[in-house]
Amino acid sequence: MKRKRDVSTSSAVVPARRVTARARPADRVFKFLSTSAAVSIMVILAGVALFLIIRALPAIGANWTTNPDLKTGVTGGFSGFWSYVGPLAFGTVWASVLALLMATPVAIGIALFISHYSPRKMANFLGYIIDLLAAVPSVVYGLWGIMVMRPFLLPLQEWLNAYLGWIPFFSGSVTSTGSSILTGAVVLAVMVLPIITSISREIFLQTPKLHEEAALALGSTRWEMIRLAVFPYGRSGVVSAILLGLGRALGETMAVAMIISPAIVVSFRLITEGENPQTIASNIALNFPIATGLQRDALIGTGLVLFVISLAVNMVARLIVNAKPRRKKVRDAGNPRGSDPGRGDGVSAADAEDDEMLSPLAAHRQERLGDDGYDGADGADGDVAAARTAVSAGFGAGLDKRAEGDQP
Amino acid sequence: MKALRFGQTAAVIAAGALALTACGGSSTGATSSSPVASSAAADYGSLSGTITAGGSSAQANAQAAWSAGFKAQAAKVAVNYDKSQGSGGGVTNFTAGSYDFAGSDAYLSVDQATKAQAVCGIGGAVNLPVYLDGVSIVFNLKGVDKLQLSAETLAKIFTQQIKTWDDAALKADNPGVTLPSTTITTVTRSDGSGTTQNFTNYLHQMAPAVWTTPVSNKWPVAGSSAQQGGSGVVNTVKAGDGTIGYADHSAIGDLSAAAIKAGDKYVSFSQDGVTKAVATAVTPAKSGVAGDLSQDIDYTKLTTGDAYPIPLISYDILCTTFKDAAQAKLATAYIGYVVSDQGQKIAAKNAGSAPLPSALAEKIRETLKTVS
Repeated sequence: MKRKRDVSTSSAVVPARRVTARARPADRVFKFLSTSAAVSIMVILAGVALFLIIRALPAIGANWTTNPDLKTGVTGGFSGFWSYVGPLAFGTVWASVLALLMATPVAIGIALFISHYSPRKMANFLGYIIDLLAAVPSVVYGLWGIMVMRPFLLPLQEWLNAYLGWIPFFSGSVTSTGSSILTGAVVLAVMVLPIITSISREIFLQTPKLHEEAALALGSTRWEMIRLAVFPYGRSGVVSAILLGLGRALGETMAVAMIISPAIVVSFRLITEGENPQTIASNIALNFPIATGLQRDALIGTGLVLFVISLAVNMVARLIVNAKPRRKKVRDAGNPRGSDPGRGDGVSAADAEDDEMLSPLAAHRQERLGDDGYDGADGADGDVAAARTAVSAGFGAGLDKRAEGDQP
Repeated sequence: MKALRFGQTAAVIAAGALALTACGGSSTGATSSSPVASSAAADYGSLSGTITAGGSSAQANAQAAWSAGFKAQAAKVAVNYDKSQGSGGGVTNFTAGSYDFAGSDAYLSVDQATKAQAVCGIGGAVNLPVYLDGVSIVFNLKGVDKLQLSAETLAKIFTQQIKTWDDAALKADNPGVTLPSTTITTVTRSDGSGTTQNFTNYLHQMAPAVWTTPVSNKWPVAGSSAQQGGSGVVNTVKAGDGTIGYADHSAIGDLSAAAIKAGDKYVSFSQDGVTKAVATAVTPAKSGVAGDLSQDIDYTKLTTGDAYPIPLISYDILCTTFKDAAQAKLATAYIGYVVSDQGQKIAAKNAGSAPLPSALAEKIRETLKTVS
C-alpha cells in the first residue's frame, strides 16, 4: 500500500523498482511461492466454508419434529434448525460481550501504563507477561476456572443476588457451585485481555511524539495529554483490537465448556446455575462425540452460523480500521492544541512534502522509545498505515522491521 | 524360530502372572476359564496385525487395560482404541467401515443397524455387552455421609420437585438421619452421554408418574447444574454443599454414593451387585441378527436386595462377516480375551468395572465363533 504511494510521489524510486522487477529466477520462484501461499489461504477458507455448507444443509432442511435422528438426543425437543441455533448464537455473543465489557477497560489501562506511564524496563517486562497470558492453553484456563474462580466468585454472586437481586441481571435462583455465566465471562475476559492489550499498546506507541509534546507544552497534565493526543489518535485501532478480542471470545470452546453450566436458552441472568445460555463452540464440543447421523450435521450447521458471525466481526473490524474519516479526526484533534503540532517544528524537509507520503524519517520515529529527542516529522497518514499494519500483524512485533525496510 | 518360541514362553509367563494377580483381587464371577485362558494364550501368540477401534469413553480405561493385557499375550498385535470419539463417533466410524469394532453405550438403533449392513453385508452387526458398571448417585451434604433413596424420590429430586434436603420424602427414605434444610443442587452432564441414557431409562421405568420426559442421552430437565464429563460432575458435586449428581461408579473417587431402593431394601453399589443385576434383569432386545446380544434392562425385576438397581451396560459392536478374514480373526481373538475371566478381572481391577455374568460371557463366546 505504501509502496504505491512512493511510486506516485517520488520519481526517484521508480527506476530502482523496475530494475528489481526484471525477473531473475530467484525472484520468480519467490513470487510463485508467496503467491501460492496467498492463494492457498483463500482455498482453505473456501474449502472450510464449503464443507460447513454441504454438511449443514441436510440438517437445516430437515423436519426436526419427525426425523428419527433429530427428534431425540442432543437435538431433541426443538422445532427446527433456527430455533436450535438461535439461543446458541445468542449465548455465544452474550458471553463474549460480557467478557469484553470486563476486559476492555483493564486492557486499555494496562496498554496505557506500558506505553505512557511505566519505566521502560518495566514496560518491556509487562509486555512480555501479557503476551505470556496469550500462550496459556485454554484447557488450563478451564481448570483454573473450575478450581479457583468458581469458589472465589461464589460469595460475590451470592451477595449480588441478595442485595441487587432486583436488577434483572442478578435475579433468579443464585448458583450454589459458582458455575454461572458470570464466572465464565470473567475467565473469558482474562483470555482476551492479552490480545486487546498488545494491539492497543502498539497503537498507543504510534501516537506522534509531536502531538503529545504539543499537548504537554500547552500545559496539559499527562492524563489530559492522553485524552487529547493518544485516544483520538488510537481510537480506531483500539476498536479493532476489541473486535479481534471479540473474535477470540466467540470461538473459545474448552474454558467455556468446562466452567459454565449451560442450557440452550435465551436469558440475561448472570448468576444462575440453570439459565446460562450455551455458546455454539462449546455446544459442539460437548455433544459432537455422542451425536449420530443428522445430529452431527445439525451441530456442523451451528458451526456454520459461528463461522458467519466471526467473519462478520472481523469484517467490521477491518472496515473500522480502514475507514477514511479517521484521518480528519486526527487533524481536528490535533488542531485545538495549538498551531498544528504535527509539523510546526519541521525538522526535515519531508514536512514540506505531500501528506500522502510517508517520510523516510518516519522510520526513525519507530525507534523513538530508545531516542531522547524526536526526529519524527510525519503526516498523519504514515501513522494510519502503521496502525493498520499493527492491527494486521496482531502483535506488532513486525513494526520496527517494516519501518527499517522502508528506508531508502 | 527361536524368537517365536521365546515369545510364546514369555506370553505364557505373562498370562500366568496376570492370572495370579487377578486371583489376588476378588473372587467374583467365577467361571471355569483357566483352561480356556491358557489354551487361548497359545493361540494369540501367532496373531499379528492392528485392530482399529473406538467409541465409548466409559470403556476407555477398561480398553486400555485390555489392550495392555492382550499385548502381553499377542505381542505382534496392536490395539488402537480411540476414546475421543465417544459412542456416537464410534458408531459413525463403524458404519463408515473404518473400525474393526465400535465401543458404544447403547446398542445399534434400527437405523444404525441398517447402515451397518452396508458395511457388514446382510448379516449385519452384533452388539456384545462386554463392559458393565453402575450409575452411582453421588452427593455432598455437610453432616450426612449415608443416604438412602427410592426411585420415586430420586426422580423428584432430579426433576426439582424436591428442593431441600429436609423434604418429607427424603426423611421417609432415611429414618433416623438428621437432614439439614440445605437447598438441593442437582448436578448433571452437559455433554451427551451413555450414563445419562442409562439413568434416564431407569427413572423412566421406575418412576413414570414423576419422570415424564423421554429417555435421552442428553439430560432433558432444565435448571440443573450441567457439567462436562463424569469428572466434571464429580468435581462439582465435591465442591458444592447440598449437591447431588450421577456418574459411572468407576469415576466417583472418594465421594459418598447413595444406596438405592430395590424392592424393599436399599442397595449400595458393589461390583458383584451389578453382575447380579445384569444376570437377573436383562432381556434380549429383538434385533433380528443371529447371535446379537443387545440387552434391555427390566429394572422392576431387581428386588432381591443383592442386585444394584442401576446397572450400566456398554457394548462392543462388530460385523458378523468381516471383509478381511485375518482381521476377523484378530477382532474375535481380542473380544474373546476381553470377555474371558482374565480380561474381566483386569478390567475390574484397573477400570472398576463389574465382571460379566458367566452365562452372558458364554453367550458372547458362542457368538464370536460365528463371526468370520
